[in-house]
Amino acid sequence: MDLMKILKDSYHVMAKDMIEFRRNRMSLAALFIMPLIFLIMFGFIFPSGNTQQHMPVGLVNLDQGQGSAEFIAQLETINKNTNYMQFTNFSSVDEATAKIKEGKLYGTFIIPPGFSYNLTQGKSASFMVYIDNSNPQSSMQIQQVLSSTVSGLNDIKAEANVLELSNGTNQPVNPQAMILPYVPNIKTTIPGQTNYFNFLAPGLMIMIVMMTVMTGIPEAISKEKEMGTFDGMLSAPISQVSVILGKTTALCARGFAQCIMILVLAMILFGVTFQGSILLAFFLLILGIFSFIGIGIMAISMSGDQASSTMIVNLLMFPMMFLGGIFYPIQQMPWFMQDISKIIPLTYAADAMRKIMLLNAGIGDIMFQIVVLVAFGVVTMAIAVPLFRKSMTR
Amino acid sequence: MTELNAIELNNLTKNFGDFKAVDDLSLTVKKNEIFGFLGPNGAGKSTTIRMLCTLSQPTSGSAKVAGYDLVKDSAKVRENIGLVAEKMIMYDRLTAAENLRFFGKLYALPKPKLEERIDELLELVNMQEWKHTQISKFSTGMKQRINVIRALLPEPKIVFMDEPTLGLDPQTTFSIRDIIRDINRSGVTVILTTHAMTEAEALSDRVAIIDHGRIAALDTPQNLKNMISGGDTTVFSVKIMNLKSKLVEKIDSLDIVTAVAQQDAHDLKISAKGNEALNQIIDTIRREGGNINSITNTNEFTLEDVFLTVTGKEMRDHANEKLAPISQRHGQTPKARVR
Repeated sequence: MDLMKILKDSYHVMAKDMIEFRRNRMSLAALFIMPLIFLIMFGFIFPSGNTQQHMPVGLVNLDQGQGSAEFIAQLETINKNTNYMQFTNFSSVDEATAKIKEGKLYGTFIIPPGFSYNLTQGKSASFMVYIDNSNPQSSMQIQQVLSSTVSGLNDIKAEANVLELSNGTNQPVNPQAMILPYVPNIKTTIPGQTNYFNFLAPGLMIMIVMMTVMTGIPEAISKEKEMGTFDGMLSAPISQVSVILGKTTALCARGFAQCIMILVLAMILFGVTFQGSILLAFFLLILGIFSFIGIGIMAISMSGDQASSTMIVNLLMFPMMFLGGIFYPIQQMPWFMQDISKIIPLTYAADAMRKIMLLNAGIGDIMFQIVVLVAFGVVTMAIAVPLFRKSMTR
Repeated sequence: MTELNAIELNNLTKNFGDFKAVDDLSLTVKKNEIFGFLGPNGAGKSTTIRMLCTLSQPTSGSAKVAGYDLVKDSAKVRENIGLVAEKMIMYDRLTAAENLRFFGKLYALPKPKLEERIDELLELVNMQEWKHTQISKFSTGMKQRINVIRALLPEPKIVFMDEPTLGLDPQTTFSIRDIIRDINRSGVTVILTTHAMTEAEALSDRVAIIDHGRIAALDTPQNLKNMISGGDTTVFSVKIMNLKSKLVEKIDSLDIVTAVAQQDAHDLKISAKGNEALNQIIDTIRREGGNINSITNTNEFTLEDVFLTVTGKEMRDHANEKLAPISQRHGQTPKARVR
């Protein structure tokens, strides 16, 4: 059987599958609803990477001097810009710590007596910050906010002090340069603000394609087997490869439609930006499909019916979803999980997709990932296709 | 391989685990013949058809279809056959024309020729006006007509039909039988499986009665009937008002009786040998306290009687369900067991 005939037959199978799919309203609706649900669900349940706002924080001022009043005024001014904290005044330390124990406060400022006096005496004025670290996530956030706020306050005070000193000695100085002699200019790979979605969207696109193909292939084949239409195709003079190829292409089209939806939604709803080459991204999607499809075919070849093949596919898909570095960076996993991640093709596909979309990587930059995906695809297909042929004529 | 044979089976065997679905089957089907496979459910008819359509690999043995080896030249085999399987080969969401076009394209028919063929065949089954209607809106009979012409689309030399009239109304059944005769007249070899005796009798040039994956008898319907009528076998239909399974067992245990089949609550079919058969059967029934309502011996044999004689089994569609209550209570005699 020559290649042209195989390709032509694949096209017929694909066209037929597409018509069937188009006329099925339920699956057509699912095609659009699924990416939407995924994006919204994953977008909102995972910590977004932005700092939480309006964290309840107590203020206990035991000093009552001018210095502490000034300090609190500046604290509130700085906070007004960011609104990270929401202040409540307490008259005693006990009152504030009781609120912390109740979980109503994340932490509290305690300004001890003598704070203003120390300032006027040219000494460091120390104060206490009491933080609830029973919740590591919020304790880390409040610590970050506190330290940046306090360093801001220090800068203001230092600036005023330096000005005062320079006026006394009649030496004109730039107080900024005195207190911050080193100024880092931070430049990021991606211009502008980034958020968790920039990380999530590329991986999610790959994952949706993986799910569509890996669950779609066993479903499409077992449905035709159970309906009896498969016999019609296989008793015709066509290659089984055409059936697989045609069905895969039809599924790919669906996967692509979903990918575009995810991308557009992520851009509109979550401000994701696309930096790289769209062509390269699509090439990678096709490569991703090629690397996953073998597993789907193996599942249907080994099980025969839809229920058990779906089970096999789910068994493989869930670890892939969570260990493939879609939702969490792999580098943050413990070493043994990282090792498992390294044998999952999704890891490489998601990584490469992220590089293309966020870092404008060229084909040379993702060569390693491409090689791994091709190798994975070739190996699984080499096992899957003979297995499939055998299972068809059982 | 002589040019006269459409199909040759040589010791074809198919095992599913320990179960022998097709057991060492050897036969030839001549060109331009309507060949009937007759047997109860699970006899191995469908498995044989599936193997001959290259949908199932034989465990051992070989076969040639249209002159090509089933395993080595499976692509060539597929080019020459059409299949009407037990399940309809059609997509519900596609229209009649789309279904036919899809399958036609798999046979690489050129487009003008394909369209011409589709119209021609739709006309043959009187369904031109339904050309652009989705299959899901069709009745079972309409679906089957499309299903049959789908198999005929690429003008195959051999057409396999697995229970083509199962569950259809009489009108559609007759029209499908007409089509089968028509295509046969135009030179197509037809392999037909059925468990409807009348169908095998009405259509087939030759019939193979198969049971447990083996051929129990193979000849023309007429010869098969002569086979039992020419001998000393007689088939009796007996109506016994107080029929009990113990009585059935007793009759079956008689030496002269070759097979017994219970048709419903009161009716038995008994095939027996020898001149003394009638007397012995009546004696036995009376001795057991049976109340004979009527008894007839059939002179005009049907294939059904042949089947009963050669396999010891009842062939009618409803035999299984009617037998069930009694067999559940007391079990069946070994000879009359229906799988």
